[in-house]
Amino acid sequence: MRLVRNLIRRKLRTSLTIIGITVGIWALVVMSSMANKIDSLVDGGSTYFEGKIIVSDASNPAFGLGFTPMPISVSDRIAEVPGVAVALPEVQLLLDPDDTGAGFGLPDFIVGSVAGADQGRETFVLSAARGRLLVEEDEGTDVVVLGADLARKFDRSVGDKLKIRGRDFEIVGLLEPTLTAPDTTAMVPLSAAQSLLSMDAPILARQGIGADQLASQVVVFPDAGVDVAALAKAIEESVEQVQTITGDDFDEAIGSNVAIFNAIILGVALISLVVGGLSVINTMAMSVAERTREIGIKRSIGASRGRIVRELVIESSLIGLTGGVIGVVLGVVVVFIGNEVGRSSGTILFHLTFGTAAFAIVFSTVLGALAGLAPAWTAARLDPVEALRYE
Amino acid sequence: MFFLEATNLHKTYRLGRRNKVYALRGVDMSIESGEMVAIMGPSGCGKSTLMHILGLLHGPDQDLDPPATLIINGNNVTGMSEKDRTKMRASSMGFVFQSFNLVPTLTAAENVALPAIYSGCKRAEASAAASEALEWVGLSEWADHRPTELSGGQQQRVAIARAQVTKPDLLLADEPTGNLDSASTTEVMDLLQRFNTENGQTIVIVTHEAEVGDVCGRVLRMLDGVIADAPAA
Repeated sequence: MRLVRNLIRRKLRTSLTIIGITVGIWALVVMSSMANKIDSLVDGGSTYFEGKIIVSDASNPAFGLGFTPMPISVSDRIAEVPGVAVALPEVQLLLDPDDTGAGFGLPDFIVGSVAGADQGRETFVLSAARGRLLVEEDEGTDVVVLGADLARKFDRSVGDKLKIRGRDFEIVGLLEPTLTAPDTTAMVPLSAAQSLLSMDAPILARQGIGADQLASQVVVFPDAGVDVAALAKAIEESVEQVQTITGDDFDEAIGSNVAIFNAIILGVALISLVVGGLSVINTMAMSVAERTREIGIKRSIGASRGRIVRELVIESSLIGLTGGVIGVVLGVVVVFIGNEVGRSSGTILFHLTFGTAAFAIVFSTVLGALAGLAPAWTAARLDPVEALRYE
Repeated sequence: MFFLEATNLHKTYRLGRRNKVYALRGVDMSIESGEMVAIMGPSGCGKSTLMHILGLLHGPDQDLDPPATLIINGNNVTGMSEKDRTKMRASSMGFVFQSFNLVPTLTAAENVALPAIYSGCKRAEASAAASEALEWVGLSEWADHRPTELSGGQQQRVAIARAQVTKPDLLLADEPTGNLDSASTTEVMDLLQRFNTENGQTIVIVTHEAEVGDVCGRVLRMLDGVIADAPAA
């Protein structure tokens, strides 16, 4: 209580210092939330790609998102390669054909595959928050299961109709949030996706290639114990015009880029914290100078050096704690508003975890304490007689 | 056996690189338990320096022949560590200053409680002792006021309560009436005298006011860093 009064006594300076810490912590929270979101996208991708091989047309430029049509017969040829357990043809296409896919995170897309064709080998298991997942019997019908972000974006629920590329689909289920790709995915039966894809590329139909002969990528589940990289190579060698992506390829290409990006983001936040920490040191140094006489009084009537240090360090920790709490609160507000605004366009920028918030508060408190140490030590070493003369 | 016995106290300060100030040039003094002694002398005679040494805020010059000794209540304090001297200041000495030296952010009661807290009392004990000490000086109803809300005389009485809160054996007062009008001076001296006679507390007062000296049982006169009178009582 007495320490709090010391802070209140110098309202302006204390509040400016707290603002300094607040800005730093706020930046840390917002930036970390952004980094968290990117991490979970990447982790999701990592998990999705783990232990399987994605085969797409050799001309396909997009990483991991197969949009270039290829004949579905390719999957039969892949299935013949030794070591392949299941080759599962899928159709992927952008939900909105005008989407450039250049935004933050992942674009919204449509995935069509035959439910259950993976024969239980898919490890990236999805579950329905409402309604149900697709079943094999859905083939030939226009039904859709929406990812969590899409459901919010379109504000639709189970039983509603959703127009996808001009066609009415009945929503039969909504997915649980995964914080990664499936959140922005509309899952439809393979047949429906095939016909959407053929509408996208009328030249195929003109050449007499039926919609049911189309795929855009093949998901390969290897037999147990097969070396994934070697199998990917074998597929590329024995089937023409395909490229493969394995989990390792994904981690290498995306993971390292993301690590650099995250390091830059967190670096910016840490710099702002260092500045905040320096302002605490400045405040405490001024506060010590201003209270020289008071420290002299306390020392002369029997306060130990340790007690003087303790009082001042607790005071600066309180500055850190207050700045940390306000910074986290402001961070939560920004993350919340940012995500609400982004939600309408389907772009979720932030993922704030409890761990991040707790770390930020503990960090700023410790920062405050450390910043207070040097001035406090100076104060404790003052000669009480000199300090008493100080006006 | 004296309560306080000092021999050959010297104190030399350096001023810059060249000049030295010989503030004390061999003080010998002894004070009996329960005495009330005034130390008087012109400015610059070294009485404040002596007070700082008696109050363990500074140490006397070391490595003299014969060595400086300062024994207070049976403790040889010349060789004490900074930590032990701090402890001794908190628990067995009381200090009263010319300019009161109360902590401005604390209430009267909180100021009075400080030495008790520093000497290791629990908060509750310390605040009980503080209200008792404020009662001794007649300021119970001002317990929750800040120093700035009190008159000079009241502030000095709060400072006396603070010096009494641990019931120390020795009270050191450096010009305690220097900033007070004559009515407040009388009040403050009456209080100090009462602690001396009723509790048998040893009191040393530095002053240059003759009226203050008159109240004390004995006056030591200082001049140019030494005690001019014979030290014996």
